Amino acid sequence: MPEATLRTVSDPGRAGPASRSSRLAPVHWLALIFLAAALGFAAVAWATGNGFYLRLATEALIFAGLAMSVDLLLGYTGLLSLGQALYFGLGAYVSALVLRDVAPSFWLAMAAALLAGGVAGLIGGVIANRVKGVYFALITFGLAQVAAKTVYNTRALGASDGLIGIPQIQVGFGPFSLDTADPLSFFLLVLGLTVVAYAGLSYLMDAPFGRTLAAIRANEKRVPFLGFNAWRYKLAVYVLAACVAALAGALYPMLRGFVSPELMFFETSGNAVITVIVGGVGTLVGPVVGSLLLTALRSVVGSWTEHHLIVVGVIFMLSVIFLRKGLVGALLARLSRRGEQGRATP
Amino acid sequence: MSKNALLRSVYALSPLLALLAAPLVTAGTAEAADPIRIGVVTPLSGTYAPIGQQVRWGLELATKEVNAAGGILGRQVELLFEDEEANPAVATQKAEKLFQVNKVDFLTGTVNSGSTLAVGQLAERNGRLIATTVSFSDAITTDKCSPNVFRVNARAGQQSAALAEWLAKDKPKAKVYYLGPDYEMGRSTVAAFKAAAEKTGAQSAGEVFAPLGSKDYSQYFGQLRAARPSVLYTSTAGNDTVRLLTQMGEYGLLRNLTIVGASGTVTAQNIGAIGKAADGFVTGVGYSAELATPENQAFVAAFRKEYNTAPDLYGADSYGLIGFFKAAVEKAGGTDTDALRKAMEGLSWSTPQGSKTMRAGDHQAIQDMYAVRIAADGSSTRFDVVGTVPGEAAIGPDQCTRF
Repeated sequence: MPEATLRTVSDPGRAGPASRSSRLAPVHWLALIFLAAALGFAAVAWATGNGFYLRLATEALIFAGLAMSVDLLLGYTGLLSLGQALYFGLGAYVSALVLRDVAPSFWLAMAAALLAGGVAGLIGGVIANRVKGVYFALITFGLAQVAAKTVYNTRALGASDGLIGIPQIQVGFGPFSLDTADPLSFFLLVLGLTVVAYAGLSYLMDAPFGRTLAAIRANEKRVPFLGFNAWRYKLAVYVLAACVAALAGALYPMLRGFVSPELMFFETSGNAVITVIVGGVGTLVGPVVGSLLLTALRSVVGSWTEHHLIVVGVIFMLSVIFLRKGLVGALLARLSRRGEQGRATP
Repeated sequence: MSKNALLRSVYALSPLLALLAAPLVTAGTAEAADPIRIGVVTPLSGTYAPIGQQVRWGLELATKEVNAAGGILGRQVELLFEDEEANPAVATQKAEKLFQVNKVDFLTGTVNSGSTLAVGQLAERNGRLIATTVSFSDAITTDKCSPNVFRVNARAGQQSAALAEWLAKDKPKAKVYYLGPDYEMGRSTVAAFKAAAEKTGAQSAGEVFAPLGSKDYSQYFGQLRAARPSVLYTSTAGNDTVRLLTQMGEYGLLRNLTIVGASGTVTAQNIGAIGKAADGFVTGVGYSAELATPENQAFVAAFRKEYNTAPDLYGADSYGLIGFFKAAVEKAGGTDTDALRKAMEGLSWSTPQGSKTMRAGDHQAIQDMYAVRIAADGSSTRFDVVGTVPGEAAIGPDQCTRF
């Protein structure tokens, strides 16, 4: 893939190391515009007293977290995970159990989910990273199926019925606190967490760690010649992605008050991959945009016809054929072309 | 120009006209313009779509009849459908939309037991009521019962109790062998029936669990023959039942053996593929289209006329729900949640399946249960009613402690 190799050298969407200090990369501008739009949406929804759409948007952001974790693997490292829902579901179950049985504490639930995601990611990563390419995809798929079936058949975890009765909680920030039952507060909290995740992960992907991942994506065999151990980096990014997915999953029971084994099923993993591809692979903001778009679309089209899956499928195919880099990728390409023209004519 | 001016003046005056007209219409008729909305979150796509289809048909037929007869309290009934995809995560999102955006007065349709539980909790948080017409997991009206959830269909416990009652009467002290699919639901269904059957005097000849989706059941036939049972109980479903029963037929094991099973073991979906091997299979259910009551015959005829197929258990239970809702709204005098809940508790209403009573303590409907035997001669199949178990005998104790 010569195109991929070129992209690591001069990525149109991303600022090179030289310009990083002076200018914000176009992709970050897009993220800022998106953030402003999200805040505008929140203000309108709040003013019109529309709790449903705020909660729907919150759910979209939670699934955006899962899609971001897929993007870390697929977009930055070139690893296709078909079982990322394993870590999302794990985070959701751990958070649900902590909130219901231990203490209704937001921070405790998040910490427990992070720990569980990290440990499971390490185990899953050691197994999955023994192989490459399509075999990696199959192993991740298999691991998630095993976990989903285990939960599905475990009475203590509610088996096929899942767990209900997860309380709505107060999230404490020092002297302040907010209520997850309030649609606006919880939306702003999840939006804040999404921004933090985006900022942190983009920084990491621009740092030497991310550059090494890009090198692995471009040509894994050459990486050892540069003095790096590709396996170790792949394991590290796999654990990182598992942690991100688990944290996103931990928010789910706070929003919906239940967890069910369907959260771990292939449908959830597959949707995350579709979200990343429609939104824009390797952009981090693409998965967020894709998740909001697809969630809104499913909700609207789903009320209108039971053939909504066909609509989503057609959009997926169209974006694969016409928008090779997804929505955000296409926008960035257009922006950078315009930027170059602007610079060419002083 | 003059027409525009006229229109504009009418618009300008319309609030005034409305004000003038307001005392003329009573509050009751003002409400009459506003239909009663029932949200239906049910699988319209995917594996469970055939069940969702029956739910939809049953509800639509009953609603059409109620509306033709003047609606409920003079208000028409409107059904709003959303696809549940048999996934609780989708079901809650769709149910929330119906509650908060469409402002439905009542909600039903959930098939997956997990969906019913999750949507029930959502109903509690939104101060509305829901009913399921399909989910049979005992948890919904026992340990995970909710003051806002009602179940008008028979739960798993009622089905196995009915079958055990019939077994005790028809084959007293039977030696029963159990063969179930090896997953949680399969094992718990077998365990529930085993407990019910042993209470009524049956003996256990052994049990075996085959993996879900087994291709070859002959490896279990040796154990089965050695145990010399007079009855085989199975809780397999779908294509597993097809393979199990046809393979048993090929090995000659169906002779001198009564086969009984869970209500989902042999259904309209797989009976064609099983063919003659399904002959004689007995199960305990809350409904059969062959029920020889005038109410049921009228219902089946109307259903066939409208949809060109016979109703099944899900269609009949969903049809009956509208009667339940109508009776409750009329008793409560409106759709206020607390008044409606009170009206629903202890309510008796008539359905094609006979009279049902909503038990106040756990919101589980009590109904007569039927033992149904399949008569298959290779070309046609019938679900004959071979025994009736009174509702009180099949219902079991109230185990709900939450309200």
